[in-house]
Amino acid sequence: MNADARLSVEQVSYAYSPNPSQAPIFTLEATSFQAKPGEIVAVLGPNASGKSTVLKLIAGALQPLSGRILFNGMETHLMEPRLRAKRMAMVQQESQLLFPARVWEFVLQGRHPHGKSLRFENEQDVAIAKNALLQVGADHLTDRWMDQISGGEKQRVILARALAQQPGLLLLDEPTLHLDIGAQVDFLHTLKKLTLANKYVVVIVTHELNLAGEYADQIVLMQKGKCLRVGTPANVYQRDLLEQVFQTQLTVESRVNGRPRVSVLEKSE
Amino acid sequence: MDNVTSGFGRAKLGILLALFALVQTSFARAQNAGAAALREVTDEAGRTVKLPQQIRRIVSLAPSLTETVYALGLQDKLVGDTEYCDYPPDAAKKHKVGGAINPNMEEIAALKPDVVLVVKSLNRLETVRGLEQIGIPAYSADPHTVVGVIASMKRLAEVLGAEDAGGALDTKLRERLAAIHAKLNGVAPTPVLFVVWTEPLMSIGRKTFIADVLEGAGATSVVDSKQDWPQFSLEEAVRLQPEYLVFASSHSETVHNDVEALALKPGWSALHAIKNRKIAIVGDAINRPGPRIVDAVEELARQLHPEAFAEKN
Amino acid sequence: MQPLTLSKVAVRCGILALILFVVVVIALKFGAVPVSLYGLAKDLIGVLIGRSSEISSEYGMIVREIRLPRIAMGIFVGASLSVAGTSFQALLRNPLADPYVLGVSYGASVGSILALIIEPHIALRPEVATVFTPLGGFLGAILTITVVFLLGRYRGEIDNRTLLLSGVIAGMFLSAIIALLITMLPSSSTRGMTVWLMGDLSTPMSPILGWVLRTGFFAGFALIYLTASDLNLLLAGEKEAMHLGVDVRKVRFVVYLAASALTGLAVSVSGSIGYVGLLVPHMMRLIFGTDYRMLLPAAAFGGAIAVVIADTAARTIAAPSELPVGAVTAIVGAPLFIYLLRRRLA
Repeated sequence: MNADARLSVEQVSYAYSPNPSQAPIFTLEATSFQAKPGEIVAVLGPNASGKSTVLKLIAGALQPLSGRILFNGMETHLMEPRLRAKRMAMVQQESQLLFPARVWEFVLQGRHPHGKSLRFENEQDVAIAKNALLQVGADHLTDRWMDQISGGEKQRVILARALAQQPGLLLLDEPTLHLDIGAQVDFLHTLKKLTLANKYVVVIVTHELNLAGEYADQIVLMQKGKCLRVGTPANVYQRDLLEQVFQTQLTVESRVNGRPRVSVLEKSE
Repeated sequence: MDNVTSGFGRAKLGILLALFALVQTSFARAQNAGAAALREVTDEAGRTVKLPQQIRRIVSLAPSLTETVYALGLQDKLVGDTEYCDYPPDAAKKHKVGGAINPNMEEIAALKPDVVLVVKSLNRLETVRGLEQIGIPAYSADPHTVVGVIASMKRLAEVLGAEDAGGALDTKLRERLAAIHAKLNGVAPTPVLFVVWTEPLMSIGRKTFIADVLEGAGATSVVDSKQDWPQFSLEEAVRLQPEYLVFASSHSETVHNDVEALALKPGWSALHAIKNRKIAIVGDAINRPGPRIVDAVEELARQLHPEAFAEKN
Repeated sequence: MQPLTLSKVAVRCGILALILFVVVVIALKFGAVPVSLYGLAKDLIGVLIGRSSEISSEYGMIVREIRLPRIAMGIFVGASLSVAGTSFQALLRNPLADPYVLGVSYGASVGSILALIIEPHIALRPEVATVFTPLGGFLGAILTITVVFLLGRYRGEIDNRTLLLSGVIAGMFLSAIIALLITMLPSSSTRGMTVWLMGDLSTPMSPILGWVLRTGFFAGFALIYLTASDLNLLLAGEKEAMHLGVDVRKVRFVVYLAASALTGLAVSVSGSIGYVGLLVPHMMRLIFGTDYRMLLPAAAFGGAIAVVIADTAARTIAAPSELPVGAVTAIVGAPLFIYLLRRRLA
């Protein structure tokens, strides 16, 4: 991957009006952070903190009210959809298939941005898709139907499709939400491995404190649309700050590898 | 990467375009050679129809026109008619081409008619147009009154080359009509309600053919509507209290049974005509603007004004 | 892993084309005049290569002027309706969508009826007069397409639910108008209209109309087929499609327009033939899968085959009377639909 493949979020804000007569609601106030290839950034916060908005803005689905987002030196929402899909890939939690599809068909969809609109996949596409499935450890699922595999397996396949796009930037929207603990760890472990191997820039939205603390290189802490702090997990996971954001009592320990672990305390009466 | 517009893909595209062109041109029609000498007639729908000088083969798409063809003595030239053409009985034996609304184009074409006869109030314009597309002329009659029917039949006789028969039919029918008219001279018209359907109550409009028949029979419809088959309010009928109810049917016992049933219903029972069983029944001929129309007029007149017909029979 | 290739599509389409040819040959046998298969083959090849060969006058005229054009009309009407139905199912992400769900057919019917009412009162040149009613139908279709589109937007973009809702409401409204207009028609037109509303291929078309139908079909099909890959992705989810580089807005607009135009054309020419646009896509899916690059041409052939068979039945079962072809498709279609539904749920 290109060493210049850097994501730069610069003072980005977003607001929308439900209808013309109402004043706009700010879902995101000026937020900034940067990410390099091989780095995982976790956008962390409780519900309605604006973290999904950040992701949508990076993905070009929304247009920022102020500020800009650059990837590879280009503003993301100005990119032509096809080009953008070759540069960045979105990994969502679920798939919305209307008709049943096989795993390999699903992953091959990731090749769509490459080439003209009406296209038939060629050998190279097949090779890339196979490789993507291999990389996420799901190649044994190639001929299975999407609606017959487990949640964790499905998440891997969705990741494989994103990889098949051959992007520089991976965007993940709460990918571990519906997974059990074992699958969560598996997934993030694989993600970290691939990020380092393929030098992806990764932005992952989550509210899982400990998973983010364990796997992310940077944390962007959000609350009610405001970005409160950007830094390494050790820097950001300060007890008072976290208690204020998550509205609950907790303790923060530092572990042997330098990463913090957060434990939520029971409410004392 | 993009194999729709690569070289190989372009060849496939070319094949597709060639196929497309082939399909389009294969539909181009060969021009017809000129036909035999034709004369132009204007039919009663205002269309110009090109007919051969001699009419040898006729297809009729309306029962009334079939009857007319028989009345003009041209039945040997009738090569096909509709399933509903049942009068005179011989007409039922002719080759059937389907219904009046949706006749079978192939059947008609296979009979190779010189002309197809249609009636504007019954047949569809699409049928006429469709026949035009395959080169078969259609002559349309469009009578609106009893007198109009007689004139229309005379005109049709001229078109079909049977002027003498047409003249004779015309004279005969007009004389009979005049006779009825004479008998009804000075008699006040009876207010009647012509019942097309009972549930809901449907009658006939002012400008319809049947309304004209009623007038010729010394009656007048109490329904004043611009629609052809208006739905009429039972209340209004009770308010107007027609003297007679007129039904068109070939089975009089059925009508009498129906009337007995109606007499038990609220609303209907309030009609004097029902209470007094003042019912007039005419045969199906009233629905056919053809040679039997004067029969229908007379049949109705006799029921409504028996005293005017009492003496000489 | 065996992705779909262009040659696979071509081969399968070739097989379907062959089936269609056989169906057409068999359909040509049925009718008022008996036709021999040998003579038939000669006729057909003669027509296909663009010149009429020496045909026996007994059935030549009938086959060439009546039967063949009628079958051709059935082919293109069936193909148009099928492709439109397949497209709407993707556009609305709803397997129950058919070409009439957005109200286009009712608009076409209203236009045709109005043309029928106005026609006696204005003087028309003969060439215009032959296409006046279908023209009215097509104008009605276009008007409906526009209104439903404008109403079906939410915050400026086509939104599935809003589109479906506005289409259904438009359809209901126009249905009521049709009922009203029918009472205003002179009685003979009423009866004719009732037949036409059920779908009717029995009256020969003017050549211009035939040309418009064929060209319209090819143009509409081409436009939609170019979005076939995009439609596959749309079926996987709208947001996903967007993130995979599909210009969702443009694709939906093009497909909406082209599929509605195909429906409008078909209905203007032959009335509302039902079930074809709903069931043929599903049956083709059962055979060929859900990839639209294969499904769209398969639906076209499938629709053509279905309508030709239905029309042949319609003109032979009650000979010499004709059943409306829409009645045949309904009688066969309804139980078939139930069967497919149960299969899906099994």
